[in-house]
Amino acid sequence: MMFLSLPFVILFTCCLILYYTVKGNYQKPILLLASCIFIGYFNIAYLLIAVLIAAITFYWGRWIGMQEQENKRRRVFIGGIAFLVLFLVAFKYLNFIGENIAVLLGWFGVDWKGAITSIFFPLGISFYTFQAIGYLIDVYWEEEEPEHSLPDFMLYMLFFMKFLSGPIERAFDMLPQLKIEKRFDYDTVTYGLKLMLIGLMKKVLIADRLAPHLDSIFTSVQDASGAQLLLAGLLYPIELYADFSGYTDMAIGGAMMFGYRLSPNFNRPFVAKTITDFWRRWHMSLSFWVRDYLYQPIAASKRYWGQWGIIYALVVTFVLLGVWHGSGWNYVIYGLIQGLIISYEMITVAYRNKVATDVGKHVFGVYSILRTYLLFAFSLLFFRLPSLSDTGYMISHLSFNLHTSIKELRLGMTDQECIIVGVAVVLLFLYEYFMSKRDLLQALSRRHGIIRWSVYYLFVLLMFLFGQFGSEDFIYLQF
Amino acid sequence: MEIEEILRELDTIFRDILKNENITLTPETTAKDVEGWDSLTNMRLITAIEKHYNIRFGLREILKFKHVGDLCASIQAKKK
Repeated sequence: MMFLSLPFVILFTCCLILYYTVKGNYQKPILLLASCIFIGYFNIAYLLIAVLIAAITFYWGRWIGMQEQENKRRRVFIGGIAFLVLFLVAFKYLNFIGENIAVLLGWFGVDWKGAITSIFFPLGISFYTFQAIGYLIDVYWEEEEPEHSLPDFMLYMLFFMKFLSGPIERAFDMLPQLKIEKRFDYDTVTYGLKLMLIGLMKKVLIADRLAPHLDSIFTSVQDASGAQLLLAGLLYPIELYADFSGYTDMAIGGAMMFGYRLSPNFNRPFVAKTITDFWRRWHMSLSFWVRDYLYQPIAASKRYWGQWGIIYALVVTFVLLGVWHGSGWNYVIYGLIQGLIISYEMITVAYRNKVATDVGKHVFGVYSILRTYLLFAFSLLFFRLPSLSDTGYMISHLSFNLHTSIKELRLGMTDQECIIVGVAVVLLFLYEYFMSKRDLLQALSRRHGIIRWSVYYLFVLLMFLFGQFGSEDFIYLQF
Repeated sequence: MEIEEILRELDTIFRDILKNENITLTPETTAKDVEGWDSLTNMRLITAIEKHYNIRFGLREILKFKHVGDLCASIQAKKK
């Protein structure tokens, strides 16, 4: 059941109506039931696995909390983390491990067919397992009291608006919200609805318009000209951003309609002047998670290595962040690139500040924004392409050369599609710029009814006129 | 050691590491309040403080510092 499907619209609407008509005590059971229906609709096994993991994490957290001796507490904690990591590995990385063992054994002349294979891939597993690991760490670090209510903890883990692709919520952000009865608030509910509309527009006007054309280039890089490869590589960050931030807007907006505030995931990433800053603006719930639970402990334990300790922590953290996306050497390289660039940026900060002063802050600022975008676009080739050989081919064939004519640069899009995508991208960046100055959605809600409703109808009309409907999938569902 | 004395010494360390002469810390100061104090410079600050006072912070202690006041309290306890 995807966000852009009729069953979801029916479930969401029924759930919302029931949620605000029943008494406070029944609100959470309704959300929990809707979440179970949402997950079970994909596959009942996904639901059973998610419920099992949530229940085990809940009781494991309490078990850690019950320990009085530090040694025993530590052992229980390590056991819990090991269980969750092994669980994630079993479902997500077993094929990858099996393949690599087969290659290694092959070097010693052993013909092993890589008999280790994952049974299937439960949707949302990377997101809720990380949430569970974060919770156990917080309990162990005494940042969080073990939760006492199993239903509340279940909802924290399974809440359907964030189950598939996050944001990865922290226990201290979401669990306290679950203790408060939610009353219908017209402004909050309509704000959430507007945010969902914005997310939907990002998805159908930009991401889904670009997706089929970029997909056709990426699935057969050998057939594309150098200029087409270059353009596809430059456009992919925009497609990915429109897709994932569109999904996130819908998730945050939908949750807001139920009175819950989810963590932001994006903050105008394409204005970042360094890759370091970029990762504070892109998939923030994941990058802050790895910063707090991986980078900080590693950097702290290696702090006597000086700068090398930080570089080591950065590389390990970003390689693991890359691998979080999936099993494959391409994801390792994707993460490694981020870690190495951030290390380079850390070492050269004084030099870059000097250059900025010499050439002028504005000129250097524009250069830095473009440089950051290009570096990220380059690293995404490893993220997007199915094999390392395709990535190698694409990188070595990036050029301005055309096969026949300049029309190739439309990448198979019609003139109308090019205009729609171009205008939508410019409008998106303008919207985000003005949103960073003042909350446009709130400002709109204070306008006269005629203006307000004219804008709503215009947006809905534009979306149905120019949107590309039919695809229910989001890119980050595969993770 | 008095908190005020520790704060002034920390000012010097922070100014040196972050290359910013305008830093004046208070017990309530957090990383968000100081330009350049981020996850990348944090460990350099911690090791400089450890070296200056000839002390060692525990791993969990470092991860639990929320503001400069926590840092001062830990230094004060270790220098007793």
